[in-house]
Amino acid sequence: MVFAWSRKKAEAVGQGSVVTSVRLEPEAPSAVDPSDFDYTLLGQWIGFADLQRHTMEVLRGEIERTSELVEDSTLDLSRRFRELAETAREQTHRVDEIVAMARFVEIDGAKVPLDELVTNMQEIIGEMIANIVNLSMKAMSMVYLLDDVQKDVTELEKSISDIDGINRQTNFLALNATIEASRAGEAGRTFAVVANEVRNLSKTTSALAQRMRDKITAVVNGVRQGHDILRTIANTDMSPQMLAKERVDKTMDSLVDQTNHFKDVLEGTAASSGELSTVIGRMVTGMQFQDLTKQRLEHVADSMTVMSGGLEDLVSRTRAVIPAHVEIPFPQEWIDQLLGRYTLTEMRQRFVRRLLLEGTALDEHGILDLSNEPTQSSSGGDVELF
Amino acid sequence: MDYAIDIKEQEALVRMSGRLTFNDHAKLRALIKEMSQNAVKRQILDLASLEFVDSAGIGMLLIAREELSNLDKQFILRKAGGQVKRVLTVAQLGKLITIEE
Repeated sequence: MVFAWSRKKAEAVGQGSVVTSVRLEPEAPSAVDPSDFDYTLLGQWIGFADLQRHTMEVLRGEIERTSELVEDSTLDLSRRFRELAETAREQTHRVDEIVAMARFVEIDGAKVPLDELVTNMQEIIGEMIANIVNLSMKAMSMVYLLDDVQKDVTELEKSISDIDGINRQTNFLALNATIEASRAGEAGRTFAVVANEVRNLSKTTSALAQRMRDKITAVVNGVRQGHDILRTIANTDMSPQMLAKERVDKTMDSLVDQTNHFKDVLEGTAASSGELSTVIGRMVTGMQFQDLTKQRLEHVADSMTVMSGGLEDLVSRTRAVIPAHVEIPFPQEWIDQLLGRYTLTEMRQRFVRRLLLEGTALDEHGILDLSNEPTQSSSGGDVELF
Repeated sequence: MDYAIDIKEQEALVRMSGRLTFNDHAKLRALIKEMSQNAVKRQILDLASLEFVDSAGIGMLLIAREELSNLDKQFILRKAGGQVKRVLTVAQLGKLITIEE
């Protein structure tokens, strides 16, 4: 018998439509003498059909479960993607703000474009250097002028010395004249008065020369001191400060370049974020495949319900026509094959539980370890239980 | 600073060397006098051998330009290099004096 069962099983597996296409007419058994008819095959068919029915129910349950799982996961994913898209949009907005700010510097509450600021500063430094150059030229002109003044003043000192010489000579002559006049006696009296006046004049001139010398000396000292101060000023080299412009210019150029670079990078980032939002939007749209999947799976499950109903109907009708003594064998090998394919423990357990609810003995598979499961009251032969 | 004047038909070529600083103010005044008094119109100052110029030196070059300009003479700076060239550039002396390479 085992051989016959295996053969039938192979047939059932090889041609999926064999079982479902079986259509047993209620009148058929009455047309054949029950003693001549071999009911073994029908018994096996009932056993298998029951298993098939239960399997379909389990599979329908799995399909519904899967559909729900896909739905839940898809909704969750869509929600997360929408959040992600929102975050990307915010990021774009922020980066845009930074890009708008990057080109400006706030000075006293006014927004000044960075390149304008740099130009202004370079102009200011340029003016500063022009002033330095102008001052240097003026200082040198002054130095040259004071050089000349010093020469003139030296000559002036020499002139005063000359006056002193002349004065000494005049005084000496006047003294001689006075002596000569006193020798001449009464006749020289008038001449003595003139000589005396000349001496007085010489003294006055000498006093004047002395006052001039004092003033000239003061002027000379002033001019010399001024000249020294001016030399110190003119001798202060401002060329390093002038050359500092080179460094300032380079720094400013670098600053502008760097800002432009940042701006470019940020604009790239903003564009990427924008693209990201778009892509995520498309992904959310793409998630709508789940609706279609759900509908298809519902169709499959509905079809299985119809098929299962058909099988149940056929089984009960077949049972009604076969004699009570006919054994309905338990399709152990099929169950073994099915369970062997279920690698997911969870699904395996659900399948076994479903069969056990129908009261089938399956404990020999050792796959069920649930204490509160309905007990298998009888073995394979009970038709109602399986 | 040292200098040498080479007077040709059309121009006077002054080769300046060393460092032009405030300390050379008397020497530069003498040079300006020589350039003012020679007969040619174009006074060219060759700066190729000049190593350094300070801000007083720049001021003195401007005085030379002014005095020669008053005499209707041309003053040209030529072949400045290194620090001298940098200072001339930063001071934008090209706006006031003809500068040749």
